[in-house]
Amino acid sequence: MSFDIFLCGVGGQGLVLLTSVIGNACVKAGKRAITGEMYGLSQRSGTVFVHMRVGDDAYSPLIPYGAADVIIALEGMEALRYVEFLKKGGIILMNKRLMHPPIETSKLLKDKQAKYITIDEIVSKLKEWTPNVAVVDGLSIAKESGNLNAENTVFLGCISVLKDFPLEEKFIRESISQVVPEKSIEQNLKAFELGRKSAYDSLCKLVSCKQV
Amino acid sequence: MVLRDVVANEKRNAFMLCNEAIVRGALESDVKVVAFYPGAPTSEVLDTFNDAVGSFDYHMEIATNEKVALEICAGASFAGIRSLTAMKSVGTNVASDALFVLGYTGVRGGLVLVMADDPHAHSSQSEQDGRFFAPNAYIPMLEPSTAQEAKDMVKRAFEISERHRVPVIVRTVTRVNHQSGIVRLDGIDRKEFRRVKWRELNEEFTTLGEGARQKKLKMLKRAEELATEFESSEFNYVRDAPSDFGIITSSVSYLYVLEALKILGLESKAKVLKLGTTYPLPKNLIRTFIKGLAKVLIVEELSPYLEREVYALAKDTNPAVTIYGKWSGTFSEAWEYNPNLVVKGIAAALGMSAPDYDSIVDDAKKLKVALPDRYPTFCAGCPHRGTWAALSQALKNKPHYFSNDIGCYSMWIYPPISHADSSLCMGASVGVANGLSNVIEERVVAVVGDSTFYHAAIPAIMNAVHNGNKFTLIILDNSVTAMTGQQPNFSTDFTAGWRQGKKVSIENICRAIGIEFVEIVDSYDAKKNIDVFKRALDFDGLSIVISRRECALYGDRNKRRKGEAIIPFYIDTEQCKKAYVCMRDFYCPCYSIDETDKKPRIAQEQCDGCSVCSKLCPFVAVKRTEVKP
Repeated sequence: MSFDIFLCGVGGQGLVLLTSVIGNACVKAGKRAITGEMYGLSQRSGTVFVHMRVGDDAYSPLIPYGAADVIIALEGMEALRYVEFLKKGGIILMNKRLMHPPIETSKLLKDKQAKYITIDEIVSKLKEWTPNVAVVDGLSIAKESGNLNAENTVFLGCISVLKDFPLEEKFIRESISQVVPEKSIEQNLKAFELGRKSAYDSLCKLVSCKQV
Repeated sequence: MVLRDVVANEKRNAFMLCNEAIVRGALESDVKVVAFYPGAPTSEVLDTFNDAVGSFDYHMEIATNEKVALEICAGASFAGIRSLTAMKSVGTNVASDALFVLGYTGVRGGLVLVMADDPHAHSSQSEQDGRFFAPNAYIPMLEPSTAQEAKDMVKRAFEISERHRVPVIVRTVTRVNHQSGIVRLDGIDRKEFRRVKWRELNEEFTTLGEGARQKKLKMLKRAEELATEFESSEFNYVRDAPSDFGIITSSVSYLYVLEALKILGLESKAKVLKLGTTYPLPKNLIRTFIKGLAKVLIVEELSPYLEREVYALAKDTNPAVTIYGKWSGTFSEAWEYNPNLVVKGIAAALGMSAPDYDSIVDDAKKLKVALPDRYPTFCAGCPHRGTWAALSQALKNKPHYFSNDIGCYSMWIYPPISHADSSLCMGASVGVANGLSNVIEERVVAVVGDSTFYHAAIPAIMNAVHNGNKFTLIILDNSVTAMTGQQPNFSTDFTAGWRQGKKVSIENICRAIGIEFVEIVDSYDAKKNIDVFKRALDFDGLSIVISRRECALYGDRNKRRKGEAIIPFYIDTEQCKKAYVCMRDFYCPCYSIDETDKKPRIAQEQCDGCSVCSKLCPFVAVKRTEVKP
């Protein structure tokens, strides 16, 4: 059985780097991996996603609908945008941060009654799909690591403690050290560790995690 | 991207994007000349060669367009040097003039053309099926499904190219190019680059009249030889099963088929023929496969390219076989496939039930009613946003036709801006403007980027000069080919590998060909530029405004390299009188409205510090932060 992760976010959040880190860790662990990556027309601020599949019988680069074990959303709204890929009862790990697209803001400009979508609204919709929704304050944890751009690694830390996550921690650490830019290795390793710790306070109360 | 893996002279496994695996395959094949014009989904082939250029001795050029890129490769190949180019299939349209002739003249050094189709038009203007170039030009074609296979095929393509003296197409689709996987690295054994003595080669590469007629016969013979060779190619194989149901497939669809058979529990209950050499097709292999089958399903994206052949072959081999595919209505010629669609198609052909994917999607849709769309948009600090702020003001109350082109500025067609009357292909904004300017009453405004200007717009601009066509052309010069990943082009001082190159001056070209109205503005001077655009629109002739400011992402990269800080702006809420000039018609992704005081806010971590919004604010409420956050 493959372990299927649907990674999504907004252009510029480092999804491609995150994919590289996981994939490179798979090489170290001797696991097969395949991805389907979509970076859209816009370099920044557009929707971006990666289908990341680990395991011998993951043939297709795209995850079938209703089959992903986990959705990792580096931006809150994007979790809802791709929820059809998640299996019922699967895990959603999403950022608290919302990045309101210009089209949403333009509606607020035109209509005084219009409101932004909130993280609570999104979570309540997602809970109709699965009870396992964990919200992570990625930006403040990244700040704590000393690197605002390390949100992606924070999420990797969170997911790495899942009981079913197929990669050992040491392979991920090695991979981070090889893949991220040299000057930010330390900060990323810290972000990874902080992510792991934060998971035990939130994610692991919903689903089973590896023993500390 | 992990460049370390691409350049490592080691034998081990690595996790690679298919486009990187293509580069690795070419390096393992000792490629000596590479040339490209960037285009999604192949741009990372260029980028990877660009990054690796310091590690090897290959010659690399970022060319004017795909035709020039292919011709650079042809030149090298005539001299016996191995060469490779990669392009999106609409780029192959541009290169095809050379491609068709190379089928006649043949080549000497291995020449590989990686051609990527984009089913679903993710980042293209059409869903063109480029496979038809191969039979049309009598040029062999290989189609990989995975990154590993792409690397293997590139290596084999060089050998085939040299053995048969013909360019070889390696045809991919977006879901192959942008697929990563585990790739086995073989060693890199390269010979030193040396200039060739042409006088010792004694070979001609011409074709005309009688020469062409004779070469056509040779070309047909070559196609026959290739067909025979491909019958036993390692890239075509059968997954056998005790069944009278078979599937014929290629490219990424093969992976969807495997996934679908697993989902349906049919892994040992269906035969599968995986085709890797899709021109010439291994007809005997296909005949043998369909002999004895009751049902055969063809799974391929876009046109019924394989299906047509299977119908023709079945006529003699097995007229009783029922063929499922596009013509049976099982699959569509529109849009890309995915595992869900293929599960449905296989189940339909076998009359069995399939998981109800439609209801999964419907259930999800119900949850998304209030979810805002996230259209592709301009980055924070993008100079096109500044240009639009001024241009949209100048165009107000001025009836006009807006002729858009291919580049980041194509995104003006998306909401909330939604402004364009037409947008076709590279350089066409100017060609179309020529036609329109003589037949409509309104002023025609065309826009084109720097890279597109060099690529295909110059002939159309000269056409306007010579024929006295009157319109306004705005050249959006952001120094690099931004949309495909900020590759250097003729508008920078850099060339491939970020080595020194000579800038080709856009304004000098425009003035030299006799255009009287050529003005240059800074895209960030939004207020000042309104008047320039107005004068250009009112000018009785061809007027050109070059709106110049480097791409924000490229600029950020330069700043980081120089150690300069990016200093964001913020809203001084005391000063803000809620005029919203900073937001209206501007749509910067950094901006949102605070729902308590209804005043704008700038996301500090996203702001690029471009200053355009601050210049627009009448109350000086948008201010630069004083300290680095």
